[in-house]
Amino acid sequence: MTPAQVPIVAWLLFLAPISAILFGFFILRPLKPEWTHWPILLSCAVVAVASVALAARVYADGSFDLNFYRWAAVGDWGVDFGLRIDGPCVAVLTMVALVGSLIHVYAASYMKGDPGFSRFFLVFHLFFLAMIGLLTANNYVQMYLFWELVGLASYLLIGFWYQKESARKAALKAFLTNRVGDFGFLLALLLILTTFRVAQFHIIYLKVLVLASGGHTPEFLPLIGGLLIWAACAKSAQFPLYFWLPDAMEGPTPTSALMHAATMVTAGVFLLIRSWPLIAAVPGLPTAVAAIGAFTALASAVIAGTRKDLKRILAYSTVSHLGLMMLALGLGQIGVAVFHLIVHGFFKAALFLCAGNVGHAIHQPTANVDEVGGWRKALPWTYACFLLAALSLAGVFPFGGFFSKDAIVDAALSRGGLFAAAGLLVSIGSAFYIFRMLFLTFHGSRPEQKGLSAHPHEAGFGFVAPIVLLAVGSAFAGLLRPLIERLVDGGLHGLPVSVGGVALQMNLPGSAMIPGFEWRALLIGTAMAAIGAGAAYALTMIDAGWDWRWRVSSPRLVRVFDTDFGWKTLIGWIADGVTGLGNFAGRVLDKKWWDGAIESTGSAALGAGGLLSDASRGRLNEALWWMAAGAALLLAAGGLR
Amino acid sequence: MTLWAVVIAGAAAVVFAAAMLWSRSLYNGAVCLLVVLLQTALIYVLRGAPLLGLLQVMIYAGAVMVLTVITIMASGGASAAERFADFALPRGLAALGVAAVAAEIALTLAGAPPRAAAVAAPGLTAAFGGDLFHSYALATEAVTLLMFLAALAVLPDKEPS
Amino acid sequence: MNAAVWATAGALFALGLAAVVLRRQMLAMLLGVELMVAAADLALVHGACRFSDPEALAAVAVILAVAAAEAVVGLSLILKVLRSGRGLDAGDLTELRG
Repeated sequence: MTPAQVPIVAWLLFLAPISAILFGFFILRPLKPEWTHWPILLSCAVVAVASVALAARVYADGSFDLNFYRWAAVGDWGVDFGLRIDGPCVAVLTMVALVGSLIHVYAASYMKGDPGFSRFFLVFHLFFLAMIGLLTANNYVQMYLFWELVGLASYLLIGFWYQKESARKAALKAFLTNRVGDFGFLLALLLILTTFRVAQFHIIYLKVLVLASGGHTPEFLPLIGGLLIWAACAKSAQFPLYFWLPDAMEGPTPTSALMHAATMVTAGVFLLIRSWPLIAAVPGLPTAVAAIGAFTALASAVIAGTRKDLKRILAYSTVSHLGLMMLALGLGQIGVAVFHLIVHGFFKAALFLCAGNVGHAIHQPTANVDEVGGWRKALPWTYACFLLAALSLAGVFPFGGFFSKDAIVDAALSRGGLFAAAGLLVSIGSAFYIFRMLFLTFHGSRPEQKGLSAHPHEAGFGFVAPIVLLAVGSAFAGLLRPLIERLVDGGLHGLPVSVGGVALQMNLPGSAMIPGFEWRALLIGTAMAAIGAGAAYALTMIDAGWDWRWRVSSPRLVRVFDTDFGWKTLIGWIADGVTGLGNFAGRVLDKKWWDGAIESTGSAALGAGGLLSDASRGRLNEALWWMAAGAALLLAAGGLR
Repeated sequence: MTLWAVVIAGAAAVVFAAAMLWSRSLYNGAVCLLVVLLQTALIYVLRGAPLLGLLQVMIYAGAVMVLTVITIMASGGASAAERFADFALPRGLAALGVAAVAAEIALTLAGAPPRAAAVAAPGLTAAFGGDLFHSYALATEAVTLLMFLAALAVLPDKEPS
Repeated sequence: MNAAVWATAGALFALGLAAVVLRRQMLAMLLGVELMVAAADLALVHGACRFSDPEALAAVAVILAVAAAEAVVGLSLILKVLRSGRGLDAGDLTELRG
């Protein structure tokens, strides 16, 4: 395939956002900043249509992978930048485009009146562009480029309200933690270039498969796999680098919805999907991924059930679901992982925007459980969407989440052992925390909650319409199952990949199968959800006040959960140690010692001069003494010789 | 026999020199120096250079020391002032120097062959005289001139009246 | 014999040097200088008698004369300093003036 044969929609994916950003930045921002969102919304529409068209094309005709530009060319070696449009990419891309567009629409209403309105939309759309670039990259270097760009956009958006110190700190925390992960990515990238000489995905897949079938793995492959997993843990907020995500809720709600729920955090999972042939070639590494995912999912589900800030409950929930995706990947179920990624994007975005509405009703960026309560009549639309999305999250049939989440639990059960236990517990936990949130916010008001005295009311059309669409999408997402299964399958095996004109057929490791309706999954899923929801009901509605009592009676337990079982404290110590070291190097080593040494040359010269001037003071006896000593020295030297 | 005399003379000289170093009164110091010079003259005679011993007593002990004593009298003795300078003498360095000198002397003494001629050759003084007035006559004349010039230095200044 | 004379000469020289370096009064320093010269003379004479070298004795005579001259010049200088009223303490005489 030549560049001319690339479908125009692939170009539009990039051209539309780039032109919208440029137009908005250079023309609208100085002249009429409150109109910045119009070209951007237009670009969103174009991208949404383009991605659906591309999906249809890939579904019908197959993937393509084309190089456009050789960067860093040295002789006949270079890094080729290009596009890779294949099944997994286009599936996630469609979700990103649709969910992203709806959130853009929501943001137009939510951010209205904010002095940084124009800046918000430009950076928000920059992120959108970067995400598109990340998904369509055909080599590791290009992916790294957009990976970093996404991290930058995240930093700018978390710290959007930079006047707040908490926002600044959270932005820095997110960026630095991601930096730690990105360092792993960079090392992996360099190792890949060293081992395979290229960074193109399909060539690396070929090489790995050929070597693996031959029986020996390249020597750095475990290290590469480990580093990529480390990078994914940072970006997708898995243990041990997850702690930036709850604090990232300092950003505006559209940011939290799009980046830290639906898209950016899934970049890590996507990286692992792209790198799966490498990781699967190392024995034990997939199990490690699954273990990390399961552990994170379970721990964060527990913590989510104890949080009081609405957005933070959802943040921990995101961490938990990302863990589920990792678990699915680790068990080899690529199709299930992609499917859950997509469905999660829909319902999590809906839930975040509902939380945004709740906060907006009391004129705050976010809401605490203490400030709300019993609002299902006051915010009916929000309540309905929340309920729909919550049912999807809990995995209740026939909503979308059932098909994706319970498929993961099912895979875990098949694997047995600890993974099965973790899967079941996570199911219970996620139902618990989401229904606790539902009951506390929308049902019944406790004396500790000031909800009913606040007189909230539903926000306007622009606030509600996107959420409705998202909630409906998450409800019916189960229908997408066969489509996604076929797309991922094409990406992994079967359908030929057209690479630079040559048709290749590769069988990549991993299963694209997404199980459809199964009785076992229905029974187990519903049972777990019922247990969780029932527990939430009991502890919030029946035994009202339980949620406040245990905090008062066991403050130690509160501390345990507040510090994420002590992990945040440990990270705090490590960070303090590193900053202490940096402080030491900067203040003491550099300023005091080095600069002091250089600046002391003046005083040293003065001191030496003082010493010498003492010698020529004019004291006769001293002069005579030194003369005698010198003569004695000469004599001794002569005598020795 | 002469050996013992030389040793005693030498010891006496050293003792009086030390006394001169530590003397409070300059007058005492000058007298001590005088004694030292007499002792050295004695050693010259014992060693076999009687002319020089005589010269030492005459010129050095006689004229020079008398001049010094007169000047000391003129300056008032100055027995009350500080004896030693107050500069920060690096004692460690001084001790090291003394030890080095002592070691060097010891080494030199140890290495020299014992060729001590007790008495000088008889014709030594005659040869000495011959050298002074024949070989080194010019030098002798120059020294005489020098002494004459030195005498001029003692002439008093023209006091402004 | 050697050892005795050399030890004497060395001790006298060292004491003379100490007097020059350590003592404050100018006249005391002068006495030390004279002592040093005497010590050097002693060593020379001893060596001359040992090796029956008349030229060394001639040298000693010359040294004697020169030392006398130098003592005279030194004393007259000291008298000048005394007359200028600055005292004879080496600690105070730190500048060449007058």
